[in-house]
Amino acid sequence: MVRIAGREFCWREGMTVADLLKELGDPYPYAVVRISDRLISRPDFGNATVPNDSEVFLIPLISGG
Amino acid sequence: MPEVKVKEIKTLSYARPAIQKGYANQTLYVDLSDSKISIKPVSDKMKETFVGGKGYDLWLLWNAVQGNTRWSDPENTLCIACGPLGGTPIYPGSGKSIVTSVSPITGSVMDSNVGGYFGPYLKFSGFDALEIQGKTEVPTVILIDGINQQIRILEVTGLPEDAHGISEILTNHFGEGRPRNISVVCTGPGAKHALIGCLNFSWYDQRRSRSRLKQAGRGGLGTVFADKGLKAIVARWDTVTLALNNPADEAALKKVARLHSQEIVEQDPKQNQMSIVGTAHLVTIMNDYDLLPTHNYRYGQHPQAPNVGMEVYRLLFDKGYDGCWIGCTLACSHGVKDFVPSTGPCKGRKIFVDGPEYETIAGCGSNLGIFDPFHIVEMNFYCDTYGLDAISVGTSIAFAMECFEMGLINETHTGGMDLSFGNRVSSLELLHQMAKGEGFGKIVGQGVRRMKEIFSKSYGVDLAFLEDIGMEAKGLEFSEYMSKESLAQQGGYGLALKGPQHDEAWLIFVDMVHNFMPSFEQKAEALHWFPLFRTWFGLCGLCKLPWNDIVPANNKLTEEPAKVMQHVKWYAEYFSAVTGRKIGPNDMITMSERVYNFQRIFCLKMGFGRREHDAIPYRAMGPVTVEEYESRADRYDKQLRDVYRVDIQGKGTAEKVKILRKLREERYEQLKDAVYARRGWTKDGIPTLDTVRRLGIDFPEVLEVLKAHGVR
Repeated sequence: MVRIAGREFCWREGMTVADLLKELGDPYPYAVVRISDRLISRPDFGNATVPNDSEVFLIPLISGG
Repeated sequence: MPEVKVKEIKTLSYARPAIQKGYANQTLYVDLSDSKISIKPVSDKMKETFVGGKGYDLWLLWNAVQGNTRWSDPENTLCIACGPLGGTPIYPGSGKSIVTSVSPITGSVMDSNVGGYFGPYLKFSGFDALEIQGKTEVPTVILIDGINQQIRILEVTGLPEDAHGISEILTNHFGEGRPRNISVVCTGPGAKHALIGCLNFSWYDQRRSRSRLKQAGRGGLGTVFADKGLKAIVARWDTVTLALNNPADEAALKKVARLHSQEIVEQDPKQNQMSIVGTAHLVTIMNDYDLLPTHNYRYGQHPQAPNVGMEVYRLLFDKGYDGCWIGCTLACSHGVKDFVPSTGPCKGRKIFVDGPEYETIAGCGSNLGIFDPFHIVEMNFYCDTYGLDAISVGTSIAFAMECFEMGLINETHTGGMDLSFGNRVSSLELLHQMAKGEGFGKIVGQGVRRMKEIFSKSYGVDLAFLEDIGMEAKGLEFSEYMSKESLAQQGGYGLALKGPQHDEAWLIFVDMVHNFMPSFEQKAEALHWFPLFRTWFGLCGLCKLPWNDIVPANNKLTEEPAKVMQHVKWYAEYFSAVTGRKIGPNDMITMSERVYNFQRIFCLKMGFGRREHDAIPYRAMGPVTVEEYESRADRYDKQLRDVYRVDIQGKGTAEKVKILRKLREERYEQLKDAVYARRGWTKDGIPTLDTVRRLGIDFPEVLEVLKAHGVR
């Protein structure tokens, strides 16, 4: 099971961040997510895998500086 | 250590006024030349027009200096102010001070904001702002003692030179067993020799039993402080409560403060985790998007960047509460405990280091081609304790390193030092030299603009090339973001009043990554709204981080997520609750617009503030060299082909560099036109008569400056 945005999704071997966001179906253009203490940016969504039993946080990142 | 001796020079006893709706309604003036202390009332007009904080600072400074005043003239004045909302202990980020003066590196008006307890303690002691004019030959400490209701000018001998030592000793000396009652402003030895000196503002960390330091870093304000002969300014105040500001509607204040505070507690763990890692989360994100400056802003990415990212500093930061103002739930001022420097006067001793934040990591790390987290911690410590701005130090060393790597300067100029990128030993040695005013470090400590002049005039280097790669504008060194691929951020840097610091408009992510402002008009609108909204924090004594670094869970569903309008509305409620002056979001923009335009005209008064002064080096706009172009050839080729419709077939890289440069420079000039028009300025970047009249800043002296520059 993987948790994201207050919802749970079934985990599968090789599941990437891009796969998970597709299942989530949120059209917002997220630029960054965090899994545990690891930040992953959009260019890597397609090859960053999501571990089973993890919680994925959607980082808004409209600020900075 | 020599014994510290304190000798009275002058004391003024005063009756502390009760704060009324966030205001003390008076300011404090100290002239060091003749030890004069006076208290000035704040008029209703001043309050209405300038609001507080940066607005008060600028008005006081405007009246103190002439157009020909130089930074080191006795009449130059250092102003420090809080703001009407400053000192509120339950609203996150409510402890900021703003410092202004004529800058040694820009020659114009500089402003720099900083955390710590000083601003609120100054206000609770009875003063909305402090002006320090004149110079003294004796080592001087100004004590603003709100408890005993006395202003004292003291000759203090036997103090150490370093900021940590000064802060600790004065905190203990004046704290009388209650160190939390003390906040110290001081600089360090570097500020005497370099033009990029910073100011350290202290706050007392009860749990760790030590004074912690925050920095008003930008523009050489520490150099002005040292040049005046000041050792320190000390504010002394007692327990802080919500009632001290005497808010107009305490119930409304509590309600809105609770909402914002609670939201940060709930959302920060799900978002940026600033209460754990501060701004260090930005490092790898910037790197992923090619925005992390490396090697003097040549490139925006490096495979070793994760070595200095959040995952590393999460482990290095000492755990515990790190709020630089009482009750702030964002609490992002983290530090490293028991760090042992490998060089300098603290070599081999265990010390506490305040930081590093993102800017220091990028400036003293990646931009120097150094990806060693401990090296950055050491640079951070020495920048602070020497009283040097870590951003300007980083950007200046990066420039010198590129010049060295390109063979423009060599070991005969650097005193035998190898200044190749990545050389940790040399970068630390340069920093120590800056502090002592010795060797090549003394030259680097003059900042990028003066290095360009020296390298050109004394070493015969091509000035045009130095202008392209020397990352300064208006004389101020760039902060640490790559703006090559974001036109909006080029404007955010180039059109910022004081120089290229991101605290006016950090649009790089919303422009380049989110593409929230694809059109020219949208970029111009953003370069109107964002600098004005961020100005408002400086007027009120607030930190901007709680506004948009942590956002409501439903922010993405709003019409303009980049503005975080829920928080904007809360800030309007906050201001109304404290001051009793009912305002909405649009009023906040108008309040800022007055001060912003006034500051632009102030720049004009000082001989700057026109279109030509909004120029930026080409390195901030695009690839200067063939190597830079070729490192991102696909991107640049695509842009030439698809956006500019250029036939690149058969063209060599050097020719493409030239074509792209012409196009990007034209685009930046077009942006200036659009932004000036949106701001109500002439094509030369000067506020029009209609604009100053609409804003109610058409004072005779303002009109006189405009008239002298052809605006009538």
